[in-house]
Amino acid sequence: MDFDGGCISGDYFVSTNVLNAMHMIRMIIVEDEKPARDLLKAYLEKFPGIELIAEYDNGFDGLKAINESKPDAVFLDVQMPKLTGFEMLEVLEHHPEVIFTTAYDQFAIKAFEQNVVDYLLKPFSKDRFSEAISRLEARIDSKKEGGGEETRIEKIKMHLAESDEKIHRVVIKKTGKIHVISTNDINYLEAQDDYVMIYTDEGRYLKQQTMKYFEKHLDPQQFVRVHRSYIANITRIERIEPYEKSNFILILKDGNKVPVSRSGMQVLKENLDF
Amino acid sequence: MLSFPLSVVFTDALFSSFLFGFLGLLAWYPTRYIPFQSNSPVYSILAHVVAGLLVLAAWVLVTVGVLNVIFGSQEAYLEFLNRSLVWRATLGGLLYLVLVLIYYLVSNNQKLQERMQQEERLRGLVREAELSMLKSQINPHFLFNSLNSISSLTMSNPDEARDMIIRLSDFLRYSLKHRENEYVPLKEELRRIKDYLAIEKIRFGEKLQYEFNISGESEEFQVPTMIFQPLFENAIRHSVYEAVKPVLIRFDCGPENGFIKAVITNDFDPEVPTRDGTGVGLQNVRQRIDLAYRGKGSARWTSTEGVFQVTILFPRMF
Repeated sequence: MDFDGGCISGDYFVSTNVLNAMHMIRMIIVEDEKPARDLLKAYLEKFPGIELIAEYDNGFDGLKAINESKPDAVFLDVQMPKLTGFEMLEVLEHHPEVIFTTAYDQFAIKAFEQNVVDYLLKPFSKDRFSEAISRLEARIDSKKEGGGEETRIEKIKMHLAESDEKIHRVVIKKTGKIHVISTNDINYLEAQDDYVMIYTDEGRYLKQQTMKYFEKHLDPQQFVRVHRSYIANITRIERIEPYEKSNFILILKDGNKVPVSRSGMQVLKENLDF
Repeated sequence: MLSFPLSVVFTDALFSSFLFGFLGLLAWYPTRYIPFQSNSPVYSILAHVVAGLLVLAAWVLVTVGVLNVIFGSQEAYLEFLNRSLVWRATLGGLLYLVLVLIYYLVSNNQKLQERMQQEERLRGLVREAELSMLKSQINPHFLFNSLNSISSLTMSNPDEARDMIIRLSDFLRYSLKHRENEYVPLKEELRRIKDYLAIEKIRFGEKLQYEFNISGESEEFQVPTMIFQPLFENAIRHSVYEAVKPVLIRFDCGPENGFIKAVITNDFDPEVPTRDGTGVGLQNVRQRIDLAYRGKGSARWTSTEGVFQVTILFPRMF
């Protein structure tokens, strides 16, 4: 999937107030609903120390903009078309401070409490908004004295990995482009050191992730760890053939071959019922 | 050959029979309170033997005792009485056995009926619970995002904000009311759907388009409350949430071969990988239709080339 989108309205007034410019916090809004964006902007008017540089209505455009214009902070909606707020975090190259805005997300709220500046539960009051901005300012001040934001994003990723939610798509960066792959399109996955190679009909994609992660988060009805280094999509299996003595090999519909270990064969037997 | 005056024969027969009849009633209690299946049969048999012996002993002793007092002067009768003890006891034992069997039959029959009634009640309760569970799923995402939109509108457009609060209230009231009303006319159901869509339209703007085509006579047709709500929610969640271009949701409804046929169609971007599991809402609708019309209605869906379509058939006669 490729997208070409753009900033919703690019002409933002850049403050020339010299005094403020020193400490201006540059922000981006990524939020798919116009009324919600309007609200954030209206609340922001009371904060001259914050410069809104752009707003986007989907995660995909937001992601590109964050990587390009490197803002200090973002208002990030969780549920958005094309790319969710969480998926954006996975592939961001530039790591701004994050204030999540979300209507309802039981699991996320707990997980992110410690690692984002704040999360605003919609609808939120002006006071609650001001509190978030104060936290943001404090966080940015303390950052000037010595980093730490990299580890925070890593922690968020860790929390995502620890959750029990099943994934239905994978976001991957490949040669500067972002690809969103439906798990249904995956033929098989192969372990490659700290990475996992994901094979689809369209090509292969390298993702920095563990096999354990995919084993846990992919639908177990569809994906089976057939080997220490391989997970196969069982709907893509053409046939299973014996290989050397007491081993087997999967022949996939696209012709690719995937080795099966003895324990992998057991799991396959249970799943495919033979 | 013994022969006694008629009065003696009658007194003996009547007294012993009535007494047995009375004592026999007592056998009901061991039958009722020693259920045959749940305890070991040895235990119940033993209990009945003991109870039977007691009844028998009481019967024989009282009969003989009383008759002895009444006819104390008639030597021949007293001798007969003493000799008859054995067959009186045997006959009594057999009669007692028959009584116990009859009592068991009656008691089992009673229990069976009780159990059947209970099961029927239970089935009703389960159905009710299932229905209310399937119906009462107001999407929290929708609720809180709508409130957020309204919060925003209070600044930019207070009139529209007020309008939205009223629509949201109507919608919520309707989804609470379904606890009282199982069925509503289609037009009322659709009025609430339109409230729902109008609220969503504030959030999504041009991205959400909708169109309704209903033949006049179908408007009054009674449908299960909130039956379409999950379908519209589904359409919005899987197409509008994921879309960056406008999405059209169509609703067509009219009579067809003894059914009222309702079709909900929406386009979606087949390129966009679905984010969350599909089908729960749809399965619920299908289950409700199955339960409500006992298999005579149907809910089917197809997904082809970017068009998702759900077709529901409501039987007109039910």
